[in-house]
Amino acid sequence: MPIKNVGKKIVQPYCIKIRLCKFGCQYNNESFKMNKFLLALCVIFIVVLYSFNSGESEWRKVSNSDAENVTLENVRLALGAEKSSFYMESFDPEKAKIGLELILKGKTKRGLFKSKAISSYFVCTDCHNIGREFKNSSDQNPSRRLDFAEENNLPFLPASTFWGIYNRTSFYNDDYIKKYGDIIKDAKQSLPGSIQVCAKYCSSGRYLKSWELEAIMHYFKANELKSKDLSLTNNQKDAISRIQLLDENEKADLLASINSAFTHGYSAHFAETMPRDDRKYGAGGDVVTGKFIYDKACLHCHLDGRVTFLKLDSDKLSAQMFLKYKSTYDDLSVYQIIRQGTYAMPGRNQYMPRFTKDKMSDQQIEDLMAYLTQLAEK
Amino acid sequence: MKKLVFVALLIIAGFNCFGQDVTQTFNSTRIINSHSTEILRKKMWEYRIEHRFGDIAGANGGGQTAFGFDQAADIRMAMEYGITDKLMAGLGRCKGIGRPYRSLCDLFLAGRFLTQNKEKRVPVSAALVQTLYYTYMKQVEDLQSVAYFDNKLSRRVAYSTQLVLTRKFSDRLSLALMPTYIHRNYVSLSDLNDLFSVGFAVNLKVRKSMGIILEYFANVESENFRSDALNSLGVGFEFVTNGHNFHINLTNARGFGELQYVALTQENWLKGQFRLGFSISRNFKIKKS
Repeated sequence: MPIKNVGKKIVQPYCIKIRLCKFGCQYNNESFKMNKFLLALCVIFIVVLYSFNSGESEWRKVSNSDAENVTLENVRLALGAEKSSFYMESFDPEKAKIGLELILKGKTKRGLFKSKAISSYFVCTDCHNIGREFKNSSDQNPSRRLDFAEENNLPFLPASTFWGIYNRTSFYNDDYIKKYGDIIKDAKQSLPGSIQVCAKYCSSGRYLKSWELEAIMHYFKANELKSKDLSLTNNQKDAISRIQLLDENEKADLLASINSAFTHGYSAHFAETMPRDDRKYGAGGDVVTGKFIYDKACLHCHLDGRVTFLKLDSDKLSAQMFLKYKSTYDDLSVYQIIRQGTYAMPGRNQYMPRFTKDKMSDQQIEDLMAYLTQLAEK
Repeated sequence: MKKLVFVALLIIAGFNCFGQDVTQTFNSTRIINSHSTEILRKKMWEYRIEHRFGDIAGANGGGQTAFGFDQAADIRMAMEYGITDKLMAGLGRCKGIGRPYRSLCDLFLAGRFLTQNKEKRVPVSAALVQTLYYTYMKQVEDLQSVAYFDNKLSRRVAYSTQLVLTRKFSDRLSLALMPTYIHRNYVSLSDLNDLFSVGFAVNLKVRKSMGIILEYFANVESENFRSDALNSLGVGFEFVTNGHNFHINLTNARGFGELQYVALTQENWLKGQFRLGFSISRNFKIKKS
């Protein structure tokens, strides 16, 4: 039997021979060299085949520019991070489109009929932007948020942006427990849970149906952060492009640096109304910044009573009204209303959410007062 | 002519699409008695309670009637609704001044088709208000009376069409012009079925939430008819809060609705025949979920 003479070295070709025989080839000594060639070809083929099938394989071949478009979630998973509780493998563009419509309009067309509005009073974009709010993806500073809003002419809103919300792991943080109590117990670590709390309580609406929630989740998934959205160094970007070649220590270091490069949860610290003695009533405030805040924060909802009953305009009378109450703790004092907001009540569910210290600074309130003072004196 | 109308409609549509519209020309959907160009926002409800007391002075006023507080010249309650941001409808019920109507219902449709716009140089806002009146009062037996309806539904019906033109001149000052046409199906021999009146109003905002309003309607009619009829004149004080709108006013008109305050005013300010009135409106949205 030839197998006894050729030893171990020809075991594999022999095996190959057997396999090849299945495909109709015949084994003989003349074709032995050919079989080595075929063996090599098969090995290459198998490697190539597996490289396409492996979930981690994209890292082997991606260029630096391709690596920038890899989702943050995939990068983190490749580096050994755990999947979030609301992990989604992929997104459906059609569902994402419906999700966007629900976010912008609060309802969508389903078949022949419109779906029931999520809230009679608010849509998501009354309080949330859907785009980027900071130049640096890990930033939360209100001054830099305002700078970015001014540069890009964005609304300056009290709630956190939806941009990158899929990548966050913590919701309704810090002082929101003071306002919502146990309502947010199950929402703090769950994006779907926090969406439901927002739909039901924050927007004075109702819980979402499963298809609505799914559509919104698909929209969020579609707009998750990518590597390019993070403020990474060239070395970090390079490391991402050859992620599978990194050893465990390098992966751990890269994961730590990536984790610090985006916001996992926005801080939310409620502030007390500024005491009278501390109020500067706009003295030294930046009028231009104040005008932007008035236009992009106050008038976003109050212009001609778009969202609320209190109608405001860029007129002298509106400014005079605020100045009249500036030293009080009344709802018409900007120092009071910005920090405390109002609460929904029967007949007036269009409440005003508060601006936390993390969303509007005391100096920005003074800037607003400076503008209102100037407007009142026009 | 058709082309002209088409072009006019295009211009109006164009004006409504672009630029920054002037808002809050008046604080509420009413001036004193008349409609304004303000329209309830889409899906917004408004509940209105309006009241006119008796004469403050004159033969029917004075201390004996607590300056009119003992009497109710007219009372109206209404529910109104914003169909779109520029179209609203309302259904109301008045006590009726009893001369001749009592139990008077009104159904109206108001639409703003032009909005003052600084950038596009649209000088005024304009709204058209069409109202249908129907009285379900028990008919009187006197054949000479207007309230003898002869069991005919048409005799109980009247209509009014009002064009409201407003302009906000400054943050404080707004003016309005209200050409008004009224048609009553059934009137007395000395009266006219068709009436035309021109209203004029001024709104002076003292503060953001307070304003003083003056409203006057000059009837355009033949001297041979309606010798008792007088023009309606009202002065009002307006107070706006978050969701509420309060009006306190003095007017010689006894009743609500163009049918009454334009066509049926016979009281004379100079004889003390003016009264205190108020209206309270509450805006709200119905929670569907």
